[in-house]
Parts: sequence; C-alpha cells; structure tokens
Amino acid sequence: MRILIVEDEPDLLRSLAQALREEGYAVDTAKDGEDGWFKAESYDYDAVVLDVMLPGLDGWEILRRLRKVKKTPVLMLTARDQSRDRVKGLDTGADDYVIKPFDLPELFARLRALIRRSADKTTNVIEIGDVAIDVAARIVTRAGKPVELTAREYALLEFLALHRGEVVTRTQLYEHLFDENDSTLSNLLDVHVSNLRKKLGAEFIVTRRGHGYCIE
Amino acid sequence: MFDVQCSVFDVPLMKPFKSIKWRLQLWYGLILVVVLAGFGFTAYQLEKGRQMRRVDDALHRRFNALAGALRRPPPRQGQPGWSFDRPQRDEPPPDDRLPGENPRPPREFHLPPADAWMFETNDPAGYYFRIYGPVGNEPERNEIAHFGNWPSRAGVEDRITGGINAPPRIGSPPVPFDIGHFREIWDTLPSGEDIVVGVSILAEQKELDRTALTLTVAGGVILLIGLAGGGWLVGRALRPIGDISATAAKISSGDLSRRISTAETDSELGQLAAILNSTFGRLETAFDQQRRFAADAAHELRTPVSVVLTQTQTALQRERGAAEYRETIEACQRAAQRMRRLTESLLALARLDAGQEPIQRVKFDLSQTVWNCVELLRPLAAERGIRIQCELPPVEAPGDAERLAQVVTNLLANAVQYNKPNGEVRVTTKLQGGLVLLTVSDTGPGIPAEHLPHVFERFYRADPSRSSGQTGLGLAISKAIVEAHGGTIEVSSRPGEGTTFTVVLPANV
Repeated sequence: MRILIVEDEPDLLRSLAQALREEGYAVDTAKDGEDGWFKAESYDYDAVVLDVMLPGLDGWEILRRLRKVKKTPVLMLTARDQSRDRVKGLDTGADDYVIKPFDLPELFARLRALIRRSADKTTNVIEIGDVAIDVAARIVTRAGKPVELTAREYALLEFLALHRGEVVTRTQLYEHLFDENDSTLSNLLDVHVSNLRKKLGAEFIVTRRGHGYCIE
Repeated sequence: MFDVQCSVFDVPLMKPFKSIKWRLQLWYGLILVVVLAGFGFTAYQLEKGRQMRRVDDALHRRFNALAGALRRPPPRQGQPGWSFDRPQRDEPPPDDRLPGENPRPPREFHLPPADAWMFETNDPAGYYFRIYGPVGNEPERNEIAHFGNWPSRAGVEDRITGGINAPPRIGSPPVPFDIGHFREIWDTLPSGEDIVVGVSILAEQKELDRTALTLTVAGGVILLIGLAGGGWLVGRALRPIGDISATAAKISSGDLSRRISTAETDSELGQLAAILNSTFGRLETAFDQQRRFAADAAHELRTPVSVVLTQTQTALQRERGAAEYRETIEACQRAAQRMRRLTESLLALARLDAGQEPIQRVKFDLSQTVWNCVELLRPLAAERGIRIQCELPPVEAPGDAERLAQVVTNLLANAVQYNKPNGEVRVTTKLQGGLVLLTVSDTGPGIPAEHLPHVFERFYRADPSRSSGQTGLGLAISKAIVEAHGGTIEVSSRPGEGTTFTVVLPANV
C-alpha cells in the first residue's frame, strides 16, 4: 500500500512517515501544496493524508483538483475542529477527517478502513481458501495456524488479496509497494513472491506471464 | 384590541399595572375623565345659568309689573285688566282682632292689560304672586293680593319672613332663589309692600336633568372612544419596545445575529433600536473575534501537540537506537519551544487586554532602544545578507522602554524575515510636531492589498502555513503595546517594493 502524506510541519511529517513505514506502507511525503498536488496527480496512491493548512496550494484546493481526475481516498488532517470545516471537507470529497492532535492507532485504523472501502471490502478479514488475512491486525493464518511474514511480504500479499481475481502488473506492484525513497531492484519482487509461495502454497499466487501476478 | 397588543409584552410575564402600557392607559384615562367632567360640569352650569337667567328675566319683568301696578292709582271701574281687593284668604273675623289694632284700609290693586297677559290663569305650573302690605303691628302680614298656586313652603317661610325685616335693597335688583320646584323673587318696595313672584321651574329642571344625562352619556362615549384610541396609539407607539425586548431576549439566549427591525427609523424608538442594533453588532463582532481568537489559539497549539504525540507514539512502538531517540526528543523540544512562545504571546496579549501591569511613562531615548534592537538582530540579518540602515537622531519619548523594544524587535524581525535575499531594512526615528515617529521599512515582496487591513489581527497570516515558525501574534502584540502608550501603528505596502510600518507615539505625557 502506498500512501502520500502532505504536511508542512517537518517534525510531524517525518514522524508520521516513519510510523506509517513501520506499519508496512510505502510512504511518499510532500511538505507544501505544489509538491503535494504534483505527487497526488502523478501516482495512483492507495490513500492520501492531506493537511488543510499548507503553503502554496492549501488542502482544499488540492482535494478539489484531485477529485476532478482521481478517486484516490483522501484523509484530511486538520487543526480546525469546527463542524463547518468538517462539512466542507466531506463535501469537497474528502473520505475521512482527522483532527489534530490525533492518536496514531486511530489514524492507522482510519487509513485501513479507507483503503478497505476503496477496494470494496467490508470486513478486515480476507479469506482465500484456507488462508485468512486480517488486515487490521496484520496477521495471516493458514488452516488456523499463524504464518510469519516480513513487512514487504505482507504488503505484497495484502495488495494482491485486495485485488483478488485481477491481474496485478509488476509496475502496479512497484508503484504501490515501494515509495520514492526505496532503491529496489526488480528481482526483489520475485523474491517476495517466491517466499510467499513457500509459506502459503505454490498455487496461491499465479504468475501470468507477460502480465503480472494474480490471486484467484 | 388591548389584549392582542398586550401579548407583545408577554415575553417575560408582566403584571398588568406594572407595564408602561397600562400605566399610560390609566393616567390617560384619569386625565380624560377629569377633562370631560370639567367640560361637562361647565356646559351644565352654562346651560343652567342660561335657563335661570331666562326664568329670572321673566320673574323680574313680572315683579316690576306688579310693583308698577302698586304705585299706580286705582283704575276706574270696568277698565280691562285684573283687579284685586281683599285677598280671598281665610282671615280671622274682624272681631277677633286685638283691641287697639288699627287695620289699614285694604289697598286696591289693578294690573293693566299690557301686563296682565303675564299671568295665565289656567296654567297650574304658571306664575304666582302675593303682595303684602307694609309691616305694621299685626302679627300676620296684611295680604293685599295673591294669584296662582302657592307652593308648600314648609321651613322656608320663616327664613323669608326674617328677610323682610332686613333693610330694603334700594337700587340693586332682588335676587331670585329656589324653593323646591319653584323659583321666586321676594322683595320689599320702598313704600313698604312686599311682593313675592314665583314660577314653577319643574320643566327647566327636567330639561337640565336631560342635559346632564346627555352630557354624561356623551362624556362616557367620548371617554370610551378616547380610551380605545389611546390604547391603540399607546400600543402602536410601544410596539417597537415589544420588538426590542423580544429581540433582546433572543440575543440574551445566545443568538447574537438577531437585529431589531427598524422600519420607523425617525421615531425616538427607531433611533433607540438603531443604537441597540449597532451595539448588538459590536457585541457580535467582539464575540466573534473572541471565539475566533480562542479557536485560533487552540489551533496553533494543536500542531505542536500532534508533533509530540506522533513522535512519542512512533518512538515507543519498538526498541530504537540512541540516535533515533535523540531525534524524537529534539522534535519534542522544538514543539515545546513553539508552545512556550505561543503561550507567552497569548499571556502577553491577555495582560495587555486586561490592562494589567500598567505602562510606565518614563522619558527615555527611543533611538538608543532602537539601536540596541538593531544590534541584537544584526546576526540574523547578516545570515540572510540583509543590510540594516539606521537613521536614528536622539528622540525622547515617555513610555516603557522594555515593551517598546519588544515592538521594535518584532518589526525588525518581520522586516528581516520577509525581506528578499540581500535586501535592505531601513529604520528611522524622528520628532515631528509633538509626535515621535518610528518607521521600519523592508525591500521584501510586500503585502498584497487584500491582506493589509488584517495584518494586526491575531493569528492573521498572509501565508496560511505555519512554516514561518512565527506565532502570528507579533504584530497584534505590537499594536496592543503601542496603543497602550496612546500611540498608533500603521502599515503601508507596495507589492514588489516593500513594506513600511510606522509607529507614532505622543512625545509628551
């Protein structure tokens, strides 16, 4: 899952990005409105965390522009807690609204819910055969027994599971699993897929040669 | 009608006689009653006087006729008119008289036809008269003539008889008086005879009663119409008060956006409503500012608090190296510093607002204070390649040097911060017409015209981001300090050329 954070307070931006990365997300950051708009428009993020008060373009403007071209889920982050601000945010097309100061666990939960909703999933547990993926707890079980996965492996599995039945291209996987700071080699993806197959069964992830991967 | 109008005043339940409307109505009613009663009484008296004058004229005419007839010699027999000799009155026989009495010969009395018409024989309510001879020794008055129905005079005779002994009023006409339904003149002629002429005034009295009734009924109707009209007028005049109190009630219950409708702006109440409206307007503005200030203050505090929360929550999620902890602690320190700056600024503003810690008024050299501030900021300016040009002739001003130094530092820091790289800051002081002028100009990008009127507002920023690291209160605090000194602070700006802040302080206390 790749997330964009647009926030002008450097300390907040840095710690948010770090916390989300530790949660297994690929995180891009932007510290002003122009940069934020450029990135939000250029990539298909799984979610955007958008501060309202920004130098250059403000959060409302980015949201308004983004809604004309993309359906990327947007979580507005703001210090204004008046209901008319919330109404404005939701009316402009924000998918959720978090007021500063916030608790990180709550922010994570809301982000998960956003991503889940955008993938048309209503529960936190995705079951595929005897494999169950709890996206809230980030726990994967196979036939009721927990399966140990690395953060990358989990992210790959979750993305494929959320797009179950679709062929996910390698480009898509790169875009959603690695952020702008990752210097990944292309074969790393194959390593993660191969590791997942070992842990969950050889037939669990199908390779569509020339297209990408798929969980059926 | 009154009840409907009264409902306007029901907003807080009001006792009827405590309300202005009812008290006005009561006083109005009382005055109206007094005026109508006075008017009615006067009209009645005038009518009565007119009636009585008519009766009295007639009585006088008859009295004079009778008196004239008495003076005239007896007419020859067979002459027309009325003749009276001895009256047909039950009199004791002559032999009953006391010895020594010398009864006067009965006087003859003849009323000529020119006057006889005045006494209609067949009118029971008509005129009557009696004529008595001069007072002699006899206990009974010697009656010369009488005519008509003699009314019952129980309790009255004595009074009249007593009056007979009074010296005759020569020259002045006799005064008529009332006996029950009759009115009489009783007077003594110079020759000693007494004439009593009377007439029934029952008809006049009845007519006067009718007049009194008419006046009372008319007065009552006028009173009712007056009260109704008065009530309508009072209600109309006081209706704006109802509107005002209803609006004020809504405002006091929290809806500050309410205003009194001022359709009749010319009336006193319309003016009052306009004044109240402008007061409400200012109240609302002040409330809004206060609310926005509180919201802004909370908002400004939220960002550093979220930094601390996020930093610590992230750091505590797992074991980390010393460098990472250090980074977290540094970020928290920065956030805490920011909160400290903010709370200090808020406190300073609150103290200035409350007028606590009164401004000292000590004469000091403003140019020296400015110079010290410039020296303080030179390193920061040098960092950005900005030159500070000073033109600081000694200028004495009364005030609090420390606080004015805060103003100068704020203005200088702004001028450095919002300048273009390698720009220039100009600081001048001068004395001009009893005023001390301090200007701080920069060569920065300037402030767009739409932001200029707001730069002294609390938390107002032309650039809505927090990246500047400023609290957004510096100029507001500067303005409060300058105004506490009785001075003014102004800003002018040309986009692309720079901004100039001008502080004007009184040179004398």
